[in-house]
Amino acid sequence: MRRVAVTGIGLITPVGCGREAVWSALAAGRSGIVRIEEFDTSSLRTNIAGVCRDFRPLDFFDEREMARLDRVSQMAIAATGMATREAGLANGQLDSYDVGVILGTGFGGQGSIEEYCGAFFSNGKGRRSALAIPKSMYNASSSNIAIRFKTRGPNLTVTTACSSGANAIGQAFHLIRYGHADRMIAGGADAPVTPVVMDAWKDMRVLSTKNDPPERACKPFSANRDGFVLAEGAGIVVLEALDLAVERGARIYAEIIGYGSTADASHITFPDPDGEANAIWRALKDAGITAAEIDHINAHGTATKLNDQSETEAIKRVFGSRAHEIPINSIKSMIGHSMGAAGAIEFIATTLAIDSQIIPPTINYEEADPQCDLDYITEGARRISSNSRLRTAMSNSFGFGGNNAVLVVRAYQG
Amino acid sequence: MTRQAVDSIEDVVKNLIVAELRVDRNQLMPATHLMKDLGADSLDALNIALRLEEAFKIKIPDDAIPKFLTVGDIIKGVNEHLSAQ
Repeated sequence: MRRVAVTGIGLITPVGCGREAVWSALAAGRSGIVRIEEFDTSSLRTNIAGVCRDFRPLDFFDEREMARLDRVSQMAIAATGMATREAGLANGQLDSYDVGVILGTGFGGQGSIEEYCGAFFSNGKGRRSALAIPKSMYNASSSNIAIRFKTRGPNLTVTTACSSGANAIGQAFHLIRYGHADRMIAGGADAPVTPVVMDAWKDMRVLSTKNDPPERACKPFSANRDGFVLAEGAGIVVLEALDLAVERGARIYAEIIGYGSTADASHITFPDPDGEANAIWRALKDAGITAAEIDHINAHGTATKLNDQSETEAIKRVFGSRAHEIPINSIKSMIGHSMGAAGAIEFIATTLAIDSQIIPPTINYEEADPQCDLDYITEGARRISSNSRLRTAMSNSFGFGGNNAVLVVRAYQG
Repeated sequence: MTRQAVDSIEDVVKNLIVAELRVDRNQLMPATHLMKDLGADSLDALNIALRLEEAFKIKIPDDAIPKFLTVGDIIKGVNEHLSAQ
């Protein structure tokens, strides 16, 4: 069994692009939730979302390339470029059957699907394209990454709703651990802020309708929370066999040590604390550690009534009374819920917390909820004192369908 | 509201519930409880709310939905929303 390191990070989020910009925004408690201007929202109850307005595709692609890529693929490829560049991996080191890609996405090439469906259902009005299928297929992003970066190893797309990115990273981690790859590009991307998707979420009545001001809408764990804020984004990591990373003197952000994945087998949308607790237990077991060793939890924390309550209960079942001593945050409070990207972006945030010894806050917490009574870091970013080290942390992702994925990451000390 | 108008609201509501929950019309009494008697869950409740909004051109607020427990509750609720408009 090989140990696995995180050696590269790429991020496209509503609070910025690139590791430094994003981390500085998260540590400052800054929100990227905005009023949607990209399409008409007058028929919707929710007119806000997390939009990646700092992402400029022409910085990464020329116009011909852009025309062949849905927005989700553009973000995934751009974030992969950032991650591989940071990892110091030149194409030669990626051009191998031992380097693969596993990406998570919930909505795939949704924008392209809507464009083509619009053309189809309007009897010829709107833009048809010979590229409709290659742009919109769910594996477009991971395949385009392989084409661009020449990674010839296992190339997969995982779709498990809100836990897609986390499951993708977990699966990639295991491929390296068990000797099926040396390096993996792993993470998630989603671009679901579209007219059709916003309308579909409207009918589920699960999005926050506190549109004004947008940056205060998402209130994880607060008694007056009223739903999640949809977002887009991409989070990509380079995972590498530790021995290879050390050998080439790579910067090691942290070591990924555990992955637990379960299905609630209960309801297609409502969470079950039992399935969630078991994903946590299995992640701990996979990491070979006890619950006592977890110093921080990056929660799924969507700000729906049900998730935050269920997740708090699951955490209590695993950690017992110690649950009250573990600093827990939800960065969805700042960047919203980017669906298939969320689990990956949050895994990165967990890794960076260990790397920097700073934990970003949960913002917009206003009212105490007796069913959510843990330490959610609501006073602002928490700097870990040199006495107590943030050594081992966990990131939770609990998706629709009851798909739970939990990842455990630890500081690398040699 | 005339008795005829009230009857037709009841008809529309019952037709809608029959279509959504795939139950027999003769199961629908005023006291029939959607969840306990007809096995509906809250996703069904959301869909029924959506169909009611489409059929009656009304807007049903989020907090009204948990009160739609029985067939009678829904008929009453629709009447109230129509009167309010």
